Amino acid sequence: MGILQKKICMIGDFSVGKTSLVAKFVRQTFSDKYLTTVGVKIDTKLLTLPNGNQMKFILWDIAGSESLTTTTASYLRGVAGFLLVVDGTRLPTWNSALNLREAVEKQLGNKPFVILLNKADLQDQWEMDEQVIEEKTKQGWKLLTTSAKSGMNVEEAFLELALLMT
Amino acid sequence: MTHIPASVVGYIQSMWMAEMILTYLHIDVQGRLIDWGGYPQHYGLTTLTKNKLIVEQVDFLDGFLDITHTEVLQYLNIGGNRCINVHIVPLDGSIYVLLFDVTDEHDKQQKMQQQVNELSILTYRQSQLLQELEATRKKLSEEKGQLEQAIKLKSDFIATLSHELRTPLTSIMGYTKLLDDAKQASDYETNYLDSVKKNANHLLSLIDNVLDQTKLEIGQIELHPNNCNVKQMLEDLKSLFLPIAQDKKLLFDIKIPNNLPAQLVIDELRFRQILINLITNGIKFTAKGFVELKITWQSNKLYFIVTDSGPGISSESQQKIFTAFHRESTANTLPGAGLGLAISYHLVELMGGQLSVESSPQFGSNFTGFISADSIQFTNTSNINHTNIKILLVDDSIDLRSLIELYLENEGYAVITASNGLEAVKLTLQTKPDIILMDMQMPVLDGYNAVQQLRAKKFNKPIIALSGSNIEHDRNYAFKVGCNEYMTKPVDPENLLNAISQIIQ
Ligand SMILES: Nc1nc2c(ncn2[C@@H]2O[C@H](COP(=O)(O)OP(=O)(O)OP(=O)(O)O)[C@@H](O)[C@H]2O)c(=O)[nH]1
Ligand SMILES: [Mg+2]
Repeated sequence: MGILQKKICMIGDFSVGKTSLVAKFVRQTFSDKYLTTVGVKIDTKLLTLPNGNQMKFILWDIAGSESLTTTTASYLRGVAGFLLVVDGTRLPTWNSALNLREAVEKQLGNKPFVILLNKADLQDQWEMDEQVIEEKTKQGWKLLTTSAKSGMNVEEAFLELALLMT
Repeated sequence: MTHIPASVVGYIQSMWMAEMILTYLHIDVQGRLIDWGGYPQHYGLTTLTKNKLIVEQVDFLDGFLDITHTEVLQYLNIGGNRCINVHIVPLDGSIYVLLFDVTDEHDKQQKMQQQVNELSILTYRQSQLLQELEATRKKLSEEKGQLEQAIKLKSDFIATLSHELRTPLTSIMGYTKLLDDAKQASDYETNYLDSVKKNANHLLSLIDNVLDQTKLEIGQIELHPNNCNVKQMLEDLKSLFLPIAQDKKLLFDIKIPNNLPAQLVIDELRFRQILINLITNGIKFTAKGFVELKITWQSNKLYFIVTDSGPGISSESQQKIFTAFHRESTANTLPGAGLGLAISYHLVELMGGQLSVESSPQFGSNFTGFISADSIQFTNTSNINHTNIKILLVDDSIDLRSLIELYLENEGYAVITASNGLEAVKLTLQTKPDIILMDMQMPVLDGYNAVQQLRAKKFNKPIIALSGSNIEHDRNYAFKVGCNEYMTKPVDPENLLNAISQIIQ
C-alpha cells in the first residue's frame, strides 16, 4: 500500500458539530437540522499534503458526550490523532473538551490533536473567552476557529492535524 | 435469485437479517482475509478479495488486528444505512470478525438520545436567556438609580441657583423702588432707574420661567388654590399693561363680566402668570390695532380669551407653539426664551382646563382657555392696629433686612432683627415676638433648623418663611418644620404686609 492511512477520531460534547464538520470536509455539504450520532459513523477521505504526498484519513465520528465512556473508549484503539470539537456558543462544551482530552491522554498517551472552536458564524452567541484561548495557544496547543456552516477553516483543521502526524 | 423481482429480494433479505443470519470475516495471522460468510454487502462491504490485506478492504479494522482478547464495537455505521455491532474475536492466531445487525435498536436509541440532547440544549439556552435578562434588569435598575440621582442633583442645582439669583435681585428691586418712591430724582436719573427696574424685572421673569419649565417637566409644580379677588387682580393687570400698550399706540382693554363672584378659589399667582404671558405676547407681536382680554364665568369655570390684531400664526406653527423653546421666526428680533406659552399651556392643564389657539394672518390671533374656579362667600377683613405688635425679622443679608425693616416700621410694627438662626432662637426666647419673618438660607444655623428648634422649645406664635427658593419641596419642608406661611423672594411688600395682618388675626 503506497498511501499512508491514518485513523482520526472526532471527539467532543454532543451537538458541537462533529458530524457537520466531517460532512463538510468529505462531501462539502451542510444541514441545519440536528441528527444526533449514536455509536460511531465511519468515513474516509483522501488528503493531499502540501508536499504533494497523499494521506488517507479514516474518520471516526463518535457520538458526543461530556466524558469518556467505555463504549466511546473502545472506538479509540489505533487512533493516530484526534480533533477535539467545541461549540463556541456553549461554554460548557469547552470544559467537556478539556475533560475528554485528559481522559484520552490517560488511555492512549500523547496523541496529536487540534481543538476546533466551531460555529464561528454565530458571533452574536459566542461565549468563548479570548484569554483562555491565548493561554492554551501559549502552552503549544493548536486551536482553530471553524464553521461547518460557512466552511471556514474546515480543510485547514484536517490539514493541520495531518501535519502534526507526519 | 435473478428471476425474483428486486422488491421481493429486498423483503427476503430483511427477513434473513431479522433472524440474524451470521455474517463474519476470517482473517489470518498476516492480516489477510481468508474467508467470509453471510451478507457483508448489506453493511457496505461489497468488494471483498480473499488473500488480500483486510485493512486495505475494511477501513474500520485498522488498529484492531493486534488484539489479545475479544473486543466489541457497538453501533458502527460503516456506510450504507445499516448499523452493526462488531465482535472481534482472536482465535489461535487468526481473527474472526462477527457482524450483527442492530439497526432497529440503534434507531430506537437514536430517537431517545435525540430528545434528551435537544431538551438539554433548550434548557441551556433558556438559562442563558434568563441570565441575560437578569443582567439587563440589573443594568437598567442601576441606570435608573443614576438617572434619579441626576434628576435630584438637577433639582438641587435649580434650588441653589434660584436662591443665589433671587436674593441679590431682591435687593436691587427693593432699593430701586425706594429710590423711585423718593421722587426727587432728576429726569435722567428717573430714566436710569426705569431701565434698572425694567431689566431687573425681565431677569426675574426669565429666572422664574426657566424654573417653572424645569419643574413642570419633572412634575414638581403644585398648585396652591386660595381665595382670590379676581376682579381686583384683573384691574391690577389692566393698570400694569395699559401704559405698555399705550407706548406702542395699541388699544388695550380687559372686559370683566358683571356676574363675576367677588372671590374665586384659584391659584392666583399661577392664573396671573398665565394671563401675563398671553397679554405680553399679544402686545409684543402686535404692531398696530388692539389687544384685548375678555373674561367670562360660568358653572364654576373661568373662561378667558386674549385677542390681538397682530400678524397671526401659520397653521404649522400653531401646532408647535405650545412646545418649550419654540420661537416664531417673526420673533427673532424680540426678547424671550420661548417658554411663556409652553408654561401657560401646562399650567392651564394643571388647573383643570385647556388652552388653544386660533389664528389667521388677516385677523390676528385668539388664545382661548378656561380653568376651574369655584366661587365662595366673601368675608370682610378689617384693619387692626399694629402698634404693640413685635416682629422678629431674621435674614443674613443686611440689605434685605434693612429694606423690610423699613416697610414694617412704616406700618407701625416694632421690629427686632437677627442675622442668623442661632441669634434668632436666642432673641426669640429673650424678647418673645408676636411673629417671626424667617429667611430659610442662612449661615451658622439655617431657617429650617431654627424653626425646628423654636417649635421644640414650645414657641407657638406664627412664623413666615421668606425664601429664595420656589422649589416645591423646600416649600413643603418649611411647612413641615413648623412655618405657617411661605413667601418667595423678592417679597412684594404689600403681599408681605397682607400676609402678616391676616396671620395675626
Ligand atoms: N451555525 C452553525 N451551526 C452548526 C455548525 N456546525 C454544526 N452546526 C449545527 O449544530 C447542530 C449539531 O451538529 P452536529 O454536526 O450534528 O453535531 P455533533 O457534534 O455531531 O452532535 P452529536 O452527534 O450529537 O454528538 C446541527 O443542527 C448543525 O446544523 C456551524 O459551524 N455553524
Ligand atoms: Mg454527530
